[in-house]
Amino acid sequence: MSYAVEAKNLGKKFGNIQALDNVTFNIKQGEVYGLIGPNGAGKTTTLRIISTLIAPTSGTATVFGVDVVKQPDAVRKILSYLPEEAGAYRNLSGMEYLQFMAKFSAVDTTAAIKEAVEISGLGDRLKDRAKTYSKGMKRRLLLARALMTKPKLAILDEPASGLDVLHAYHVRQIIKSYVKQNGVTVLLSSHNMLEVEFLCDRVALVNKGKIVLEGKPDDLKTQYSSQNLEEVFAKVIGYA
Amino acid sequence: MLRGFTTILIKELKELIRDPKILIAMIVLPLVIFPVMGLVMSYAQQTATQQAQNSAQLILIVDNDGGYWSQQLIGNFSKATNIAVINNTTPQQILDQGILTQYNRTEFIEIPQNFTNTINAHFNQNPNITATVNIYSIFQEGGIFSNLGSSISTTAVSSFNRVVAPNILHTTPSTIIRGEIQQGVDPTQLSSVLYLQSIALPITIIILLTYSMQIAATSVAMEKEEKTLETLLTVPVDRFAILMGKLSSTIIVAGAAAIASMIGYTFVIGNSLATIQTGTAVDLAQLGLTPTPLGYGLLGISLFVTLLSGLALAVIMSAFSEDVRGAQALVGYLAPLIYIPALALMYLDLNSLPTAIQAVFYAIPFSHPMIASNAITRGDYTTVILGIIYVTAFTLIIMYIASRLFATEKILTAKLKLTQKKKKPTEQTE
Repeated sequence: MSYAVEAKNLGKKFGNIQALDNVTFNIKQGEVYGLIGPNGAGKTTTLRIISTLIAPTSGTATVFGVDVVKQPDAVRKILSYLPEEAGAYRNLSGMEYLQFMAKFSAVDTTAAIKEAVEISGLGDRLKDRAKTYSKGMKRRLLLARALMTKPKLAILDEPASGLDVLHAYHVRQIIKSYVKQNGVTVLLSSHNMLEVEFLCDRVALVNKGKIVLEGKPDDLKTQYSSQNLEEVFAKVIGYA
Repeated sequence: MLRGFTTILIKELKELIRDPKILIAMIVLPLVIFPVMGLVMSYAQQTATQQAQNSAQLILIVDNDGGYWSQQLIGNFSKATNIAVINNTTPQQILDQGILTQYNRTEFIEIPQNFTNTINAHFNQNPNITATVNIYSIFQEGGIFSNLGSSISTTAVSSFNRVVAPNILHTTPSTIIRGEIQQGVDPTQLSSVLYLQSIALPITIIILLTYSMQIAATSVAMEKEEKTLETLLTVPVDRFAILMGKLSSTIIVAGAAAIASMIGYTFVIGNSLATIQTGTAVDLAQLGLTPTPLGYGLLGISLFVTLLSGLALAVIMSAFSEDVRGAQALVGYLAPLIYIPALALMYLDLNSLPTAIQAVFYAIPFSHPMIASNAITRGDYTTVILGIIYVTAFTLIIMYIASRLFATEKILTAKLKLTQKKKKPTEQTE
């Protein structure tokens, strides 16, 4: 079976720090796969490797069969990455930002922008410069940017982190409905276990650079007799 | 064409033009700074002239008349200052015999033949007849306040007029440029034009390089600080196009700044030329003191490659910072390499410096527009071309390093902390 994402024995060292250690996981096409774990666990490092930003020290990773190290340009054509706490260009309007980014990825720029306008739900505020946006508005704009091109793989790093209830709700609803409708494969990271339970088909629990557990949220909760993934994680790492 | 270059360039230009800080620093400031600088320098020159007039100096007088009125004039001079008198020697002989060097003077006054007869004619025949004394001054290139001595002589002649008869005596200033007498060229006016030119280029270089490098560094650092770079690096765009887009937009804005600088500069020069009397306007080109079109072209190329080297260097330095403040601080360390050559070469002749110091100046890429500026006036194009080749090679190396940085994860992970003991680039984790 060919996977949307196939990571084998990924390792990454920053100087003397082992950020990732032998991480292996596969994501099926159309699946929403979540990496969950505390800050510094290695989630972002994993996402950065898959999205071709950094190279692994060891191991391999492919996106729809394309090697992220050997053919990064080809990989960039089929994925879209939303970094944690990413920003938009302060002096461009939301619309200009979408137009700017659409030119790189979208075959049909107009359709992509129309899609992004709908996803963001920002209406006339898209005419204003990004520096006037609240954090929630900015995140909605960036999520719209990430999804507007209907990428084969969307990599979302902490998609709703730091947002208020309404903005976080909007973002999660968009991800949930959009990926199901468009068959987009999603790899996301979060330290919000409830968010992950709501969004993900399967999850991997990451701690100190290693995947310590992997499976469907319900299966994991049953396996560890826990109410939620938070409890599962605490039990797995011996905290509870 | 690089994939995505135009899109990146347009975005960068929008961002730069819409930033009021950049608009003020790059466009408004140069428009204001030159007029202000012109006023300050004019005041300084006037003050220096006044001080020179007030101080007692030795005046060298060549008396080719030997009559009654020449003795009176010499007497008038001797009351005002110390004098040395030489008889019956032509101005060319003064130069050829090295008499100015012997007296350590840069100017002399010639009382011409028939001086006494002319003044007598004024009193006895026609009051419209006036006499003339010739003032010869050596023009010293590079020295901002050189050639002020001629005004002392002018003052002394004015006092002669007050004692003898109004407007009976006039001065005819002439300038000695590179050993040749240029009749009727006033060195004071020449100096006032050239000193502005001599400060315009260094100031332009300082403004252009400093602000452009800050903009280039900020452009990259802002992307890192706002986390937009991460997104940009994952879209299908040529990474060299990102680098070139940033450099090109900075060059365009720097070009606008250069135009603003030139407008301000032209305003000052225009004011300066307006003060020069009609009929005595200084034709620098005729005197061989302005570069040829080829010279200007080479100077432009030198400025351009230097600008490019500075921008590429700024981009590299900003890659090692995490935020805008860090990038600006890092680029700030390059400032002495811009200021020192620009200011030093305003006053110093590079060839007169010890070889080791010359080598240091030649090694600094930012020195080369100044070196080129002086060299093209002398017609020394070889030095300019060699400088351009050197700076171009330097720039290519820096551009290669910058493109490698953009091609790898170093652009995201490298950082330099100068406050720590370890000064090697380190890398950041999640």
